[in-house]
Amino acid sequence: MKKHFFNHILIVAGLLSAASCKKDFLDVQATDRLPEQEVLNDSTLFEAFVTNRYIGVRLIDKEAQDPAPVGFGRAFEYAMWSSLTDESIYNNNDNTWFIQQGLLAPENTGIAGTFWGRSYRSIREVNYALANLPVVKMSAQHKTRLRAELQFIRAFRYHDIIRNYGGAILMGDKVYYLTDNLQDDNLFKRSSIKESLDYVYTQLDSAAADLPTDYDGSWATGRATKGAALALKSRLALYAASPLYEGAGTWANAVTAAQAVISMNKYGLFSGGYRNLFLDANNSEAIFVRLYMKNANHTHLEIANGPNGYGGWGGNVPLQNLVDDYQMADGSKFDWTNSTHSANPYTNRDPRFYATILYNGASYRGNTIETFTPGGKDSPDGPDKWNASLTGYYLKKFMNDAYPLQNPWGNAGFQPWYYFRYAEILLNFAEASNEANGADVVPAGSTLSARTAVNMIRTRAGMPDLPAGMSVSAMRDAIRYERRVELAFEEHRFYDVRRWKIADVTENKPAGGIIITKSGSTLTYTTKEALEKRSFSAKMYWLPIPRNEIQASNNKITQNKGYTQ
Amino acid sequence: MKCLSDAKQSAVLLTQRQRWLSLFFCFSLSFLFFSFSSLAQTTVSGKVTSGDSALAGVTVQVKGTSNATATDVQGKFTINAAANATLVFSSVNFAQKEVAVDGKTTINVQLNALDLNLSEVVVVGYNTQKKVTLTGSVSVVKGADLVKSPQVNVSNSFAGRITGMIVNNRSGEPGYDGSSILIRGLATTNNNEVLIVVDGVPGQIGGLERLNPNDIESISVLKDASAAIYGNRAANGVILITTKRGKSGKPSINASFNQGFTSPTRLPKMADAATLATIFNEVAYYKNPTLGMNQTYSAAEIQKFADGSDPLNYPNTDWAETSLKKTALQNQANISVAGGSDNVRYYVSSSMLNQDGLYKNGATKYKQYSFRSNIDANVTKDLKVSLYLSGRQEDRQYPTTSAGNIFRSIYRAFPMINAFYPTNGLPSYGIEGSNPAVMGTDIGGVAKNPIQVFNGILKGAYNIAAVKGLSVDGFLAIDKSWNFNKSFSKPYTLYNYDKNTNTYKPTTVGGSNNLATLSEGQGNRTQTVSNIKVNYQTNFGKHNILAFVGYEQSQIKTDTFGAYRENFPTTLTPDISQGGTSASDSKTYGASLSFTRKSYIGKISYNYDEKYLVDFNMRADGSSIFPKSKRYGYFPSASVGWRISQESFFEVPFINSLKLRASYGLLGNDNVRPFQYMNNLTFNNQVVLGSTIVPGIDLTKLANPIITWEESKKTDIALEATFLNHFNLEFIYFRQKRSNILAPRNASIANVTGIVNPWNASTLVPDENIGKVNSNGFEATLGYNNRKGDFSYGISGNITYAKSKIVFIDEPSGKPDYQRETGRPMNTYLLYNAIGIFRSADDLAKYPHLSPADAGDLIFEDINKDGQITANDQVRTKYGNIPEIMYGILLNGSYKNFDMNIVFAGQSHVSQVVIPEAGTVGNFYSSWADNRWSPANPGGSYPRVATRTSSSVNGNSYASTFWLNNASFLRLKNIELGYNLTGSLLAKTRMQSLRVYLNAFNVFTITKVKDYDPEGNNYSGQFYPQQRIVNVGVNVGL
Repeated sequence: MKKHFFNHILIVAGLLSAASCKKDFLDVQATDRLPEQEVLNDSTLFEAFVTNRYIGVRLIDKEAQDPAPVGFGRAFEYAMWSSLTDESIYNNNDNTWFIQQGLLAPENTGIAGTFWGRSYRSIREVNYALANLPVVKMSAQHKTRLRAELQFIRAFRYHDIIRNYGGAILMGDKVYYLTDNLQDDNLFKRSSIKESLDYVYTQLDSAAADLPTDYDGSWATGRATKGAALALKSRLALYAASPLYEGAGTWANAVTAAQAVISMNKYGLFSGGYRNLFLDANNSEAIFVRLYMKNANHTHLEIANGPNGYGGWGGNVPLQNLVDDYQMADGSKFDWTNSTHSANPYTNRDPRFYATILYNGASYRGNTIETFTPGGKDSPDGPDKWNASLTGYYLKKFMNDAYPLQNPWGNAGFQPWYYFRYAEILLNFAEASNEANGADVVPAGSTLSARTAVNMIRTRAGMPDLPAGMSVSAMRDAIRYERRVELAFEEHRFYDVRRWKIADVTENKPAGGIIITKSGSTLTYTTKEALEKRSFSAKMYWLPIPRNEIQASNNKITQNKGYTQ
Repeated sequence: MKCLSDAKQSAVLLTQRQRWLSLFFCFSLSFLFFSFSSLAQTTVSGKVTSGDSALAGVTVQVKGTSNATATDVQGKFTINAAANATLVFSSVNFAQKEVAVDGKTTINVQLNALDLNLSEVVVVGYNTQKKVTLTGSVSVVKGADLVKSPQVNVSNSFAGRITGMIVNNRSGEPGYDGSSILIRGLATTNNNEVLIVVDGVPGQIGGLERLNPNDIESISVLKDASAAIYGNRAANGVILITTKRGKSGKPSINASFNQGFTSPTRLPKMADAATLATIFNEVAYYKNPTLGMNQTYSAAEIQKFADGSDPLNYPNTDWAETSLKKTALQNQANISVAGGSDNVRYYVSSSMLNQDGLYKNGATKYKQYSFRSNIDANVTKDLKVSLYLSGRQEDRQYPTTSAGNIFRSIYRAFPMINAFYPTNGLPSYGIEGSNPAVMGTDIGGVAKNPIQVFNGILKGAYNIAAVKGLSVDGFLAIDKSWNFNKSFSKPYTLYNYDKNTNTYKPTTVGGSNNLATLSEGQGNRTQTVSNIKVNYQTNFGKHNILAFVGYEQSQIKTDTFGAYRENFPTTLTPDISQGGTSASDSKTYGASLSFTRKSYIGKISYNYDEKYLVDFNMRADGSSIFPKSKRYGYFPSASVGWRISQESFFEVPFINSLKLRASYGLLGNDNVRPFQYMNNLTFNNQVVLGSTIVPGIDLTKLANPIITWEESKKTDIALEATFLNHFNLEFIYFRQKRSNILAPRNASIANVTGIVNPWNASTLVPDENIGKVNSNGFEATLGYNNRKGDFSYGISGNITYAKSKIVFIDEPSGKPDYQRETGRPMNTYLLYNAIGIFRSADDLAKYPHLSPADAGDLIFEDINKDGQITANDQVRTKYGNIPEIMYGILLNGSYKNFDMNIVFAGQSHVSQVVIPEAGTVGNFYSSWADNRWSPANPGGSYPRVATRTSSSVNGNSYASTFWLNNASFLRLKNIELGYNLTGSLLAKTRMQSLRVYLNAFNVFTITKVKDYDPEGNNYSGQFYPQQRIVNVGVNVGL
């Protein structure tokens, strides 16, 4: 018995050591992650790595809380980018008000601190994929496409850097590893805006040449196309010609870049109605979109932005500043001093007003919006009064009334986000052509003048045409109106007022709202300040590079002007 | 009991001192009530003494019978006993002694106090050692002390008792109420987790917290280099737990039952409806002053909130009172049988525990059933086999909303909202669809989380008779845990009252899409450890040698999988097969992980005449966590001791014993994620192309091909003494140098490199062996024990001071020196220094301030004197939320049949930031609401209110020292008063022993923290509060 037990121990010990001879007991295989070599050896896995570059890393709280992470820019989040402009304020603050109030600082970037980090992480990932692409086993043709796709993604990331920070730090194809000297001076040298743009243009030219024009079975909606590359170039060329960009580009170049998209003759304006455009991207106006679906959804917009009377949280509430800018249906200006206007301010306005803004009296989910007091259910007299809009308006654009508002979890947030749609290209063209050639000139190689391009958009919206013979300056104002209204809440206003260098005017105006007082059946309208101390200073034309980044570079990265280094 | 709870209820009105006095008064009353004297008959009589003093209350029992008595005040006893009987003398603080009657009629007995017991043996790594020959710093707690606390979680019984241990109880939620344990404070920026060894099995699955305290014989804590025997897992200290085993003899049956009453130690007092309505008006006013002070609520409305005249439309709801019970119940029952023959000995036990949560009609319940069977058998003279089997079922049930969220809702919900409408009792919509008064119930379904743990150890020891002193032993241990969870979330209806239409508008919350959802998962974990060891023990002359070499290997495997389904057509079928039919209604997940370790262990322990003591430990450890070339680590340690008082030249009359000792060694820490030596690519499928979610892969971890364990060099120098017969003293100075600390470089690498770490997730950067932290401090214990007549008493105080200093931590190179963590203690905060509140325009002109600053805002100090408030004005706090000083005061006393045991625990040099989630998104602590600055209260001591404190310049946007609390406290952690029935009364019960007791946990706290329990560490103060427990119990021996 005792020998038996002892033998047993010996046998066990023997077995253990025998086993360890064959394969080390300490060699353990990971099952929940892939070694790099497997991804590089398998074209399907490699492509899965490439397609995930359309999304980016999450860098702050209250950003991409829902399954799908941020792509480019900011897009659908609780606090939208519009709430840093004169389009809206975010009812629940979430680190947006202090930016509206001029407190943006390198150490305090709120929701405006992630473009830098997210873009550079993506650029490295793209470079990593580009560096390994040659060794992946796949057809040369497909490799070419993937290379073009990666170049496009990288260019889009640089676009996010350039339009927010100005001159970028250009990485080329370099992939930095932990073993590299990460304090190398070259890492911290900012190029000029022009150098940055020139680099991005070459990338986009190369991408446009190799990307497919159309989606098909092997190239699904959501991926880059030739049109997407040209659209991005058009936007950048327009920015480059703008006052803020200090001569980095010319209006003529911007005309050419926009015309390149128009000349594809592939895109047109959606005829199914301005409002429906934002509920489904399956149309010819869509150039490049981010798609969402169940289990890959974005923020539940309806509860996040809905009126308190319906259980919504207010969210991104449109400012009076925007509401006032909507023209009358006949193209004339709205004016509070006009007693007809002021008695019924929501009557006879640009039809896009009704598709963008929920106002007192608007119909909503089989009911009527009541932001009046006393007693209006969507006013502070309604339920959850803390969620009542601070401005007296709610956002309507993007909202899909077919999605649940209450308890929507997992069943909303499927609307597409348009990175580029054809209307923007027409407006790019119109602006550049007006500046380069005047309102009515059809430039060589084109069939449109600035005026006809704008009128296409006005016609679709149901607004009267602009007349011929407008001055450059009048046409400029008309185009600025068109961009403000047509592209509202689509992450244009923030950049437009900056590149036009009018932010010191538009962003210094008080954030307006409305008080609607009901007495019997009479409503009286009084404007109010919805958020105190809105302010803008010249340094804010560019975002500050986050303080951590400056510190990590040992102060070698040059901070944007006006901010503490 | 009544006295105690009365004292508790009136505590609000009393100062701490008064409260303490009233407690003492209760205690004295109880004495009078219970006191009576015992009588006995005669045959054998005698006197029991210890040294010169007579011992009262010593139990004298005729062995093997229920015939027993106790000594009187003079230590005298008389008892009937047969001439061939044996008398057993026992008393709590003394070693039990047996004396044969042998026909004598007078038997005088000397008992030895346990503290002076020279043969006391302590469990150390891989063997046991006589306490007097110990050369390492080892703290010991007896299981008997642990059961003096009504706390059901073993980790909560340490505070104040063990020097060197920093213990903080962060939450009181049944099932998750354990304490964080640190040995000698924070010593690494990596994981500070202590290694738990149960009956020799390192890292036994199931850990320490849920063990049945009645099963624990003793706990040893290895604090210094003597832990090096556990190699690359030893750096944070080791807790060794030894469970009880049987002794040969008649079976002794022990049963106990405890009934406890739990209540929160503290709940913050929140603002009432009228106050909050006024605050809402102020928030609106600050946004738009031109519209005046009543933009949200009129003065008449506020009056209605205050006078309660219209409870339907103008209620004043106390959400904590509406949602929580005053007390919840818990009870524990335990039974054990121990005994055996000379060849087979057994200890078997079984226990049951029930804990209720605090929510009214709450779903929260914790139940635990456990068993243990420890059997030792001498198979032959030389072969001993032991089998330890233990298992438990931990049944956790919770509402589908987490405790954090429920308490968040309690503190957020506005008092101006009814919890239930007074007209019809319907639950209201609460705060944004969260009504905490129903969230704690099962209305929205329940989340069940049963866990089963099984631990089996087969041990063998073989004495090789051919070589004297040579033996072999080993064990095979198998641990398994099965962690199941099933959460069925049901939709339910909340109501919004519309006073215009006098209707209650229903809204469905819970579940998804107004239908039920189910998530269900299973996680299994297995650990197999095998160990074999060859031991040699010999002595020649006065030389004593003990040595062993051993081999150990272990493997841990975990597997998890789970499923989610939604759109259940009915709530009647909470099973995964019965949900919605669309493909997107179901989701699954799963993962597995395995890692292995291989170790070679050796120890030589030598002493000369138990006077000069030397120990060497050595361990070589291999770990699968690290790459092949960096797998093995070597961890040596040495320690020496000198019992000066054994020297013939040592003649200090008042010193009874004196020992000096020192230790030095190298220890390791491998507690990091595995597979960091390779690039990790992981599927992350979230991109939609066309109409499908396509597979996506992300690079989630960069490789560190040279990753290896971190190292700790520990030095201890200590002195132990007993003096003046009654005092004992221990003083330890310790020093620790951690190097190669595994930490990711997440601050010094600029984002422009593209190496960018995600928010709130595992870093892209791997851990690298870069950190360095030094720490040092001391531990001191001074005890006094004595008896005067019937009184026996002891008092002991202990203090631990442990301070860390970061030598290297990854920081950006451009960071200002005064903000660096380098050179400072770990875990400090970086905050603006709030130096007051702007009272006037003059103040605003006087101090640099943020551009929108106004009266009522906090004044931040312009640290760098540049005339503006920027991030450069943030400063490091002196302390973090891990105390540098932890101390305890232990009092025990017994009088006749009574005994009492008191533990005070305290901490100091500790700070905690709590910024409440207040504003129009949540209620205010009344400390803030009542003292806020406002135009009406320009002298207020708190800043003005804002929509959201989280994004206010007075709150999280510019987190400042205003919200930094000194979290020091002194708390009566534990108290027990017991009564042991003896003599004829006991004889009548036919029991061997009967003890009744009253004990309490977290009785009162002296602290400057106002609104929450100072042990909490939640940044917004939203956590399930720590528990105060008052408990009555009975313990019988059969």
